[in-house]
Amino acid sequence: MMTIDKALWMPLIFAFLCLIPSPKRITRLTFIAGAVISAIGAWGFVFGASWSPRVFAFNGNLMMDALSAVFALLITGVGVLSAVYAGGYLFKEGDGSISPLRLRRYACFFHLFLFTMLLTVFSNNLGIMWIAIEGTTLASAFLVNVDDKKSSIEAAWKYLILCSVGISLALFGIILVYYSAIAQAASGESGLLLNWTFLLSKAKQLDPQVLRLAFIFILVGYGTKAGLAPFHSWLPDAHSQAPAPVSALLSGVLLSCATLGILRFHILTKAATGSAFSDTLLIFFGVLSVVVATPFILEQKDYKRLLAYSSVEHMGLAAAGLGFGGALGLYGAILHIMNHAFTKSLLFFSSGHLYYLFHSKEIADVKGLLRKNAFLGIIFFLAALAIAGMPPFSIFVSEFLILSAGFLGGKYISCAVLLLFLALIFVGFLRHASRMTLGGPNTNQSKQSGDWGRPNYHFGKEIKSLGGSEEPPKVERSLLMDSVLVVGMIVILTMGFYIPGPLNALIQAAGRIAGGTIL
Amino acid sequence: MASLIHFLGMMLLIASFWILVSSQIGACIRAYATHSFLLALITAVVAWSQHIEHLIIPALLTLALKTIVIPHVFFRIIRRLGIRKEVESYINIPFSLLLAVLLVFISFYATGEGRFLKPAAFGEFIPLAISTVFFGMLMMTTRKKAISQVLGLLLIENGLFLMAITMTFGMPLLVEMGIFFDVLIAVMIMGLFVFKIRDAFEGIDADDMTVLKG
Repeated sequence: MMTIDKALWMPLIFAFLCLIPSPKRITRLTFIAGAVISAIGAWGFVFGASWSPRVFAFNGNLMMDALSAVFALLITGVGVLSAVYAGGYLFKEGDGSISPLRLRRYACFFHLFLFTMLLTVFSNNLGIMWIAIEGTTLASAFLVNVDDKKSSIEAAWKYLILCSVGISLALFGIILVYYSAIAQAASGESGLLLNWTFLLSKAKQLDPQVLRLAFIFILVGYGTKAGLAPFHSWLPDAHSQAPAPVSALLSGVLLSCATLGILRFHILTKAATGSAFSDTLLIFFGVLSVVVATPFILEQKDYKRLLAYSSVEHMGLAAAGLGFGGALGLYGAILHIMNHAFTKSLLFFSSGHLYYLFHSKEIADVKGLLRKNAFLGIIFFLAALAIAGMPPFSIFVSEFLILSAGFLGGKYISCAVLLLFLALIFVGFLRHASRMTLGGPNTNQSKQSGDWGRPNYHFGKEIKSLGGSEEPPKVERSLLMDSVLVVGMIVILTMGFYIPGPLNALIQAAGRIAGGTIL
Repeated sequence: MASLIHFLGMMLLIASFWILVSSQIGACIRAYATHSFLLALITAVVAWSQHIEHLIIPALLTLALKTIVIPHVFFRIIRRLGIRKEVESYINIPFSLLLAVLLVFISFYATGEGRFLKPAAFGEFIPLAISTVFFGMLMMTTRKKAISQVLGLLLIENGLFLMAITMTFGMPLLVEMGIFFDVLIAVMIMGLFVFKIRDAFEGIDADDMTVLKG
């Protein structure tokens, strides 16, 4: 029988198993098996029927309700894809490969990162949630900087410093919430005072003024981590410098976890103040994020930064959806977080392929992808259309729901702004993607270098129709990496048409919790 | 009792100023250790005067970690880096002193009489805590060296700790311990990164890091 403790123990155990000195092959096996087993455990736990509506563990400090269940699915789901991809991407043989010691450390931090994120979503105690979110920063800083290049160190340092400061503001907010709870507490309840479920049940007695102030600090603090503008400046750096599988995790699930942190306080603030104060703030910062991200998307020269700014946009959209509220808006926002996680991680995975093929992160260096590698070209182009909000992909559905909720809620101006900028972003993505995939292959072959970050990608297969007289690049096709792309594509296409019944029920239940239902 | 509390509060403010005005990184670290020591004393006094036994553990941890272990780690780092140079700042020290005084005024004004934060006891520490947080932010934004930025972060954390101790008599013990753990790990990881920065950038000036833009 799965419990929360076991779901948390698994990644932690595998983190240390990965550290055991062993041949590369074994480390890789442990690494991937760890992610798969954690995922099977968590998914089995979530869809095993015995937990509804919520289950507690560890004296009520840990808790799983539908909301945390959705995020646990995301973390472990994207975690598996990312681990399998990393199995092909980082664990290569040949010259320029990473040393076994570094790989073991990488594998360890990867699982620690998964553990801290799972702890974030499973914590009922708001203090523990804070500790876990700070833990995600610490665990992933080493993942951002795997190769010790100047730019990666810079990105990791900014990430560490900015997120730690942001998070300390959130701690201030938590102290304020605790303060407002202590003022109303009866004796004997002191152990419960930071528990979200307890606070929610006593929300009416909390001082609304203090909670408003606390929410501002939380929004700025966790908003930094979630990549909301104008606190997003660490995000494009970290996302572009991290190796592809890590970028996928950062963008797909780390931002989502931080959003969950904001959402928990949003529910609490709304229940305590009974006003639309936190809604308005969420809509404001959400719309602002979309607006701020747009020019950077339109004028972007680096395809990984392009994807990073698109994450700012989508987190903004999700925040706006949470702010619009109503059953529709909340359902849409949660679905959007889910769809974004899978679509964006698919794009980051294909960015790893792109980097292998072209040895460059510049959009201008990537040309004629469709003719050079048809498989990758099709996946990348479709995924770019999907992230831009093209039907029939899943992102379209959730964007549509969020905007409908906005119009139903009478937020016409915000919705109009969102629509306008989403259209601009759509055009921008279409332009970038078509430039990269269509047209003739690039004639000036990029330089090859020996370090692991720019490996020689040996084509085992014959490549058809290469323009000019250039040497056909040799690529050792990694079955692991390719299969991740295929699976990701299937997921985002299917989710556009059909959400499986149990998952749909789960998201609806999560939406009800986000709407403040006290179960 | 009250006079002891006032005295400790004053000393704490002086220690915060000391961190800001120190022109040598070593003096900065010693000032931080003093600041943490005073924090541990205040925690102990609060614990003793309000009969809150569980606060003794955070007090001891503050004494052990922030007064001894973390400064020790810092001294090791600067010895291995071979830093003798002075603290470099974007603004000169008299000006940062001026800003600091202003920040203290702001925090006293913002939390003064009639505002809605009314803790049961030790209300006079709230402006002190907030100004400590402000000082930390000032340090993080104006100092060039990566190591001073870490000190700024620790100063922010000290301010928040003081806030939690005096407003709410400390967070639940479990949370308090978790925060200590996080701070310790953060210092270690940031320390490692300081070495990486030194190796890659041939110096630990954070403003050399300008590769990533747009």
